[in-house]
Amino acid sequence: MSEFVFATAQYESGDWDSAPLVSANIIDSVARYTSIPVAPTGAIVSLSSDDLFRFPLVFLTGHLPVRFTEAERVNVKRFADRGGMLFVDDHNHDIDGAFHKTAVDELARAVSPLTQLPNTHAIYSSFFRFPDGPPNTSHELNGWGDNLVHTHLLAAMRGDRIAVLYSNKDYSSEWGYHPDNKRFLSVDNTKFGVNVIVYALTR
Amino acid sequence: MAERVLRGVALAGLALLLWRALRPPAMSSADVASGDLGAALARWTARAPTDAHVAIDSVPDRRTRDWLRALRAAGTTVRWSASKPLAPAAVVAEPAVDPHGATRVRLAANAGEPVALVDAAGLVDSLPRGGNTELELGVITGDLRVRGASFAAATSPRDRLTLRPVLVLGAAGWESKFTIAALEESGWRVAARLRVAPSVEVTQGPLDAIDTAQYSAVVVVDSTAASSAAAIARYARSGGGLLLVGSAARISALAAVAPGSIGRRVAGVAGAVASDAPRTGLGAFAIASPRADAILLESRDDMVLVAARRAHAGRVVQTGYDETWRWRMSGGDEAVRAHRDWWSRLVGAVAYAPLQPVVSEADFARDEAPLAALHAALGAPVPMPTPVESDRDPSRTTRILFVIVAGALLLEWLSRRLRGAR
Repeated sequence: MSEFVFATAQYESGDWDSAPLVSANIIDSVARYTSIPVAPTGAIVSLSSDDLFRFPLVFLTGHLPVRFTEAERVNVKRFADRGGMLFVDDHNHDIDGAFHKTAVDELARAVSPLTQLPNTHAIYSSFFRFPDGPPNTSHELNGWGDNLVHTHLLAAMRGDRIAVLYSNKDYSSEWGYHPDNKRFLSVDNTKFGVNVIVYALTR
Repeated sequence: MAERVLRGVALAGLALLLWRALRPPAMSSADVASGDLGAALARWTARAPTDAHVAIDSVPDRRTRDWLRALRAAGTTVRWSASKPLAPAAVVAEPAVDPHGATRVRLAANAGEPVALVDAAGLVDSLPRGGNTELELGVITGDLRVRGASFAAATSPRDRLTLRPVLVLGAAGWESKFTIAALEESGWRVAARLRVAPSVEVTQGPLDAIDTAQYSAVVVVDSTAASSAAAIARYARSGGGLLLVGSAARISALAAVAPGSIGRRVAGVAGAVASDAPRTGLGAFAIASPRADAILLESRDDMVLVAARRAHAGRVVQTGYDETWRWRMSGGDEAVRAHRDWWSRLVGAVAYAPLQPVVSEADFARDEAPLAALHAALGAPVPMPTPVESDRDPSRTTRILFVIVAGALLLEWLSRRLRGAR
């Protein structure tokens, strides 16, 4: 049985490597809470590479404008069509920033337009329960970025399955600390990351 | 006196001619070629001959055969002969184990004779060279009619399959996820229990006791289903379909019904997953020590990778492939469809699918073996009759009567003239 490998997308434009600690933290949480066999280190995979199809769940983040190359666009579409899931997080946690506008535009061109994901969706109960939808981040609650708490995630669907999950909540910052520091948190803030992975592995 | 006799003979002849003209003429024998058969049947129904011989160059349809049989039942001796050899043709349809309602068709036709398969919606398929073949067609609308130059047959499935959901058991992982996706995309209703943590399972669909009243098949994706193994083995023995994937046959209760045991790990050929033989690019567990009653379905380098066997009333397929998701994700352009079809066929091969008889209008149009039905209706063919002039030609009798009447009248007239009478 294949191990789950947490893969981060590398793309030509922007700063794809802006949240290097997210993978270690999520891997720690998957190993901590579940019995899912998980590779101890993450992988970095180019969006334009055939290797993309070795990782059916890929995390993509950044602050800067996103412009896919033609090869990246074709691969992302094919990836979504075949059952892959792309989890995109805006590291700026705003709704009108450069990353948001360009990434949403690119994803609409490559896959399909993003729509609001209901807060009752299965992803919010796939492992831990989030009855109010996506958990808020400290950056949102502190009023940073656009001074908004984003109440919903966005998604592009293939049938009843999420092909692209898009977040303005800046989980990249929220989860971007060393796993050893998790013990200082009263509530583990990476639990939603486990839900995303369990959803991707089961739906 | 003689003149009176002659006049009497003439009047009697005229009366006989008049009676013959007015009475319904009786047919004693009739021969007809197949091209004129339709008109002849209508004629014979109004006035049945004592004997009828039909010379055919193609097998009559069911309506025509029934008509001839009715004539025979009404007293006409109906015989037939073939003006050229008629090849036996037959077609039969039955439901395939497919959630979309595919139909399996077995056809026997004259080799070299083009055949068209048509349903109520139009042309379904064609065989340019005819012959004996088995086809799997999609949904058939109404009856399936098969036409060749020398025959026309019609069939429709007599039964309908009852397909229940498929239960998928295993750990959360790519193989479980994409197996479920492939089956759902193929139209199967899927229930699943996927283990995420020791006491946590992600579930979907109707989860009931594992028995044939609930599920058509159970797919065990790995060895994490040990707690349900006894129920699964019992399910298989009682007629259920079981698909053991990868390491699932390691569970001892399932090993008892598996076609073989788990052998060594076989690596896939690098890059081959995108080739014409995509499964050679997949890693798999070889099936070691296959049982004597196992049927080996797929091998690579002398190692068995897919095998099947009967376990009492049920069917079990064991596949060593446990990373088929790589085929779907990294394969060629047709990979998604091929992966989906492969899984659907494996499940279809084992699925428990009880039959229910279907009664429909198509029952009355069914004509699956027309030549055999012709033999059953009219018996074996007889040699072609040689045309002989009938000694019971009705026009000859009329001519003789006419000559007698005319002769009698002429003689009477001569007799009267000779004796000077007017």
